[in-house]
Amino acid sequence: MVSGGNASSLPLVGGASEPTIRELSRPGRRASKYPKLDVPEVDFNHPAMKNEKAPLPEVSEHDLVMHYSRLAHRNFAVDLGFYPLGSCTMKYNPRFADYVASLGAYSNTHPATPSEFTQGTLEILNILESYLTEITGMDVASFQPPAGASGELTGLLIIKKYLENQNLSNKTEIIVPDSAHGTNPASARMAGFKVVEVATDDRGMVNIDDLHSKVNENTAGLMLTNPNTGGLFEEEILTISNIIHEAGGLLYYDGANLNAIVGVCRPGDMGFDIVHSNLHKTFATPHGGGGPGSGPVAVKSFLKEYLPGPIVEKSDTNFYWYTPENSIGRMHGYHGNFLVALRALVYMKLLGKEGLDTLGSYAVLNARYLSSKVSKYLPLAYNEPCMHEFVATVKDLKKSHKIKAYDVGKALLDKGFHSPTIYFPLIVEEALMFEPTETQTVETLDDLAESIQHIIEELCAPGVNLTDYPKNLPVGRPNELIPAKHLTVHWGDFELLELTE
Amino acid sequence: MFVPHSSLDLNVIFDELDISSLDELFKHIPDDLLIKNGLDVEDSLSELEATKYFEDISNKNRNNLICFAGGGHYDVYLPPTVKSLTMRPEFMTSYTPYQAEISQGILQVLFEFQSLVCDLTEMELANASLYDGATSVAEAISVAINKTKRDSVVISSGFNPNTKEVVNTLIDKSKFDLNYIPLSDYLFPEDYEFTDEDAAFVVSFPHYEGSAQDLSNLVKKAQSKGVITICYVDPSMLGVLKTPGSMGFDIVVAEGQSIGTPLSFGGPTVGWFATKKDLARLVPGRIIGETIDNNHKKTYVMTLRAREQDIRREKASSNICTNQTLNAIGSAIHLSWMGPEGIYQVGYQAIQKAIYMKSQLIEKGFNVINNKSSLREFIVETTLPAKKIISEMGNRGFLAGIEYSENLLLVALTEKRTKDEIDNYVKQFSEVNNG
Repeated sequence: MVSGGNASSLPLVGGASEPTIRELSRPGRRASKYPKLDVPEVDFNHPAMKNEKAPLPEVSEHDLVMHYSRLAHRNFAVDLGFYPLGSCTMKYNPRFADYVASLGAYSNTHPATPSEFTQGTLEILNILESYLTEITGMDVASFQPPAGASGELTGLLIIKKYLENQNLSNKTEIIVPDSAHGTNPASARMAGFKVVEVATDDRGMVNIDDLHSKVNENTAGLMLTNPNTGGLFEEEILTISNIIHEAGGLLYYDGANLNAIVGVCRPGDMGFDIVHSNLHKTFATPHGGGGPGSGPVAVKSFLKEYLPGPIVEKSDTNFYWYTPENSIGRMHGYHGNFLVALRALVYMKLLGKEGLDTLGSYAVLNARYLSSKVSKYLPLAYNEPCMHEFVATVKDLKKSHKIKAYDVGKALLDKGFHSPTIYFPLIVEEALMFEPTETQTVETLDDLAESIQHIIEELCAPGVNLTDYPKNLPVGRPNELIPAKHLTVHWGDFELLELTE
Repeated sequence: MFVPHSSLDLNVIFDELDISSLDELFKHIPDDLLIKNGLDVEDSLSELEATKYFEDISNKNRNNLICFAGGGHYDVYLPPTVKSLTMRPEFMTSYTPYQAEISQGILQVLFEFQSLVCDLTEMELANASLYDGATSVAEAISVAINKTKRDSVVISSGFNPNTKEVVNTLIDKSKFDLNYIPLSDYLFPEDYEFTDEDAAFVVSFPHYEGSAQDLSNLVKKAQSKGVITICYVDPSMLGVLKTPGSMGFDIVVAEGQSIGTPLSFGGPTVGWFATKKDLARLVPGRIIGETIDNNHKKTYVMTLRAREQDIRREKASSNICTNQTLNAIGSAIHLSWMGPEGIYQVGYQAIQKAIYMKSQLIEKGFNVINNKSSLREFIVETTLPAKKIISEMGNRGFLAGIEYSENLLLVALTEKRTKDEIDNYVKQFSEVNNG
C-alpha cells in the first residue's frame, strides 16, 4: 500500500552512533562571536564571582549544526509519518501557526511589560477565551496552567478552596475512575485529597453501582474524561453528574480527550463545572518532543473568582489584567505558555465555524474506520462504538504465542509507523491504544491496519525471536536496567561504569 | 481544513462503517447533549486573511521597546542558528520519547541538556525540564520536604513576587510553614541560624534585587542541621558566577529562558532542575539515561520511570507529564553555541554595562541603592512613582524595568544593550523623573 503516512522510506544512513557534543569539542574552537565591549571597562571584584571559565563544549558552528541536524534525523515525528499514539492526539501541526508565533511583537515581549503596551497580547488571550468557553460550554478561563497536569491541579485546588469557603472542609475525597490517566490521582494527591477509585463496568464505562457506593458526604468531586480512556462515550454522564452534584461535589473534566467532541457536544452541558483543555492536543500546537503544552482551565461563572490569576478582562476601551478575589494563586511565573495559546487561536481561526463544527466528527470517523479495519486482526477491548480512539488487546496472542503488546509496538516501528500507546488503560490486558486523529488519509489508515496484519503473521511464524524487533532502526531494544541501577545520567557516567566493571 | 477526505474517500469510509452521514456516528450519545446548530464562532480565515488578522492585533503591542527589564527573564542574544535548529520539525512535532528506538534524537539532545546543565552548575544529575523557574522552586521544595520529612521551609524573600506566589499556591500551607526571611541590606543575613525542624533553605543567586553574595557559609550552616539547600540561579550569569555546586548546594533550579528561548511573554520557557545523585529517586519529571541496546550499541532511554505519574499514580514524586522539552533542546543548543568564551562574554559584558549605567545614573544624581552588591541588575530610586516612570519611558521607546516598590525600579542589563541605548535611557530617565 502506498500511503503518505508511512515513514519506511527514511534514509537513515549507516548504523554508527552519533557522538555527543562533548566528544566533538576541541579546545579553542567556537561558534559564537560577541561585539567588543562598548562601555569603558573597569576592574572589579565581587565575592560571588569565579575565575575559571565554564566547562562548555567548544565546537565550530558547522559542527554544531551538523550534529543537531543528524540527531533530528534520528527522531520520528508527526511531520514524518503516522503517529497513532493513543491519548496524545498527534495530529498535523500547521506551519502557519509557527509563523504567527514568531512575529516579534508576540515572541520578543518581556512578560513584565505593562498591559498598556501589550494590548495585542491581551486581546489574543481574550479572543481565545471566547473560543474555548464556547467549545467547552463554560464561562471564563485562565491561561496560567502550562500543561494538562497543571490544569488538573488547578481544577482540584479550585474545588478545595471553593469547598473550604462553603465550610465543607470535611469533603476530602476525589473520585477517579480506575481507567484514568496517572496524572489524575497524582494531581489529586498533590492538592491534598484522598483518591477514591471507582470501577469500570463490563461495557468499559463508569460502574454506576460502584459510584453510588463510593459517593458520600466526604465526596469533594469527580475527575473524568469523556470520552473515557477506553475511547468510549460515558453514556450515563448525566446520571453521574447528578450523583456527584447531589452529594455536594464538583465535576472536573480532564480535557485529554476533548478532540472527540469538539462541535459534537460540550462538557459544560454534561454537568462539568471545571474543564481543562490540552491546547497541544486538541488545537494542534506542536508537542515539542514532550512539551511545551498549554492547559488552560475554564470554569462555570460561580467559580470565576477562584481561578489562578491574573486573567484578562475587557472594558469599553481596553483589555486589562484582573486577579480573581478568591484566587487559588498563580500556577506559573507569568501568564502560562502564551505562544502555545497563540498557536491554538491561529488553528481555531483557520478552522473557523465549518472546521470546528466537524472537528470531533472527523476525528471519530477516522478512529471508527481504523477500529473496524484493525479489529479484523486484533480483538477490541470493548464491543462498543468508539469515539476518537480505541483499545485493542493482544492477550490472545500472548497466550498462544507469547507475543505481548510491547512486541507489536516494536514491530510496528520497523514498518514506518509510531507505536500506539501500550499498556494503557491499565485495566485492559496487553492494551494497544490507537488514536488516528482527523488528519490522516484513508490510505494511511489502511496501510497501518495491513501492517498490523503482516506483523502478526510475521511474529507468529516459527523460530521468531521477538526481542530482535525493531530491526530497521538506529538502535534495538535498550537495556533499561543499567541506567536505573547505575544512574548513568551524565556524560562520562557510562564510561566510568565500563572501567569499574 | 486539515481533514484530507474527498467525497470519494468519505464513500469508502461510510461503506466500511455502514453509515450515510457523520451524524450517525453519535447515535449512542444522549440527544439532549448533542449540539444542534453548531458552535457560535466566526467563519474560517484563509492563511492570507489570517496573516492580516494576526499582524493587525500584534500591532496593538508596543513593539521593539528596548528592554531594561529582568526579574528572571532576560533579553539575551538568541542566534538564528539556535532557533532554526530547535525548530526542526523532527524535534518540534514529536512527543515524549516513550519508544526509545525511534526517538534517539530527542533522547540524546535531552541527555546532552542534562549533562550541560550539570557541568554548568557542578551538579550530578539534571532532569529533562520542568515548566518554568517559578514552578521549579516549588518542585524543589517538595523534594526537600519528602526527603527530610520536616515541615518548615526557610525561603529568602529575595525572589520575584510571582515566584513566591507560585510557591504559596503549590506548597500546602495547612501542612507546611513557609518562612520568608527578609534580606538585610539586599543580602541574605549571614548570621541566620537554621534549626533541625527546617526541611529546606531556598535562596536566589543573585537575589531578585540583583545583589549577590557567596552563599557557601550559609549552605554549610544549613546542611549541619540536615537542611536541604536549594539554589535558584540565573543561568545566563554562570559564565562568571560561582557555581551552585562549588558553594555546596544540594539542588539547583533555574528559569532557563535566557538560555535558548525568546522572551515569549514569559511562556513557553523552561525550568531547570539539577541535584546530587542521592536525591535521584525523589526528582520530579523525566530523566534520560545512557545504556546499550541488545547489540551493545550506545542507546539513550528514559529512566527511573518508577517515580512518574503514569506508573506510580497517586504515589508519584510529581504530577508532571508534558514538560518543556523543546525549550530544553534550545538550552542545550544555545549553550553549545556559546561555549565557555561566549557564556563568559554574556555575563561579563552585562556586569560591565551595569557598572557603566549605575555610574551614569549616580552622576545624574540618582540613588542606586544596591550599587556595591549588585551585578547585572540593580535598584534605582525614582522621584515620581515607578509605575509612572515605566509608562512614560515606554512612550519614549524603553521598557525601563520592573516596579520594585512605589518609588523603586529594578533595572537589568544584558550583553545586548549598547552604550548608546544606555546613554539615551539615562537622559530620558532624568527628564521623566524631573517631570
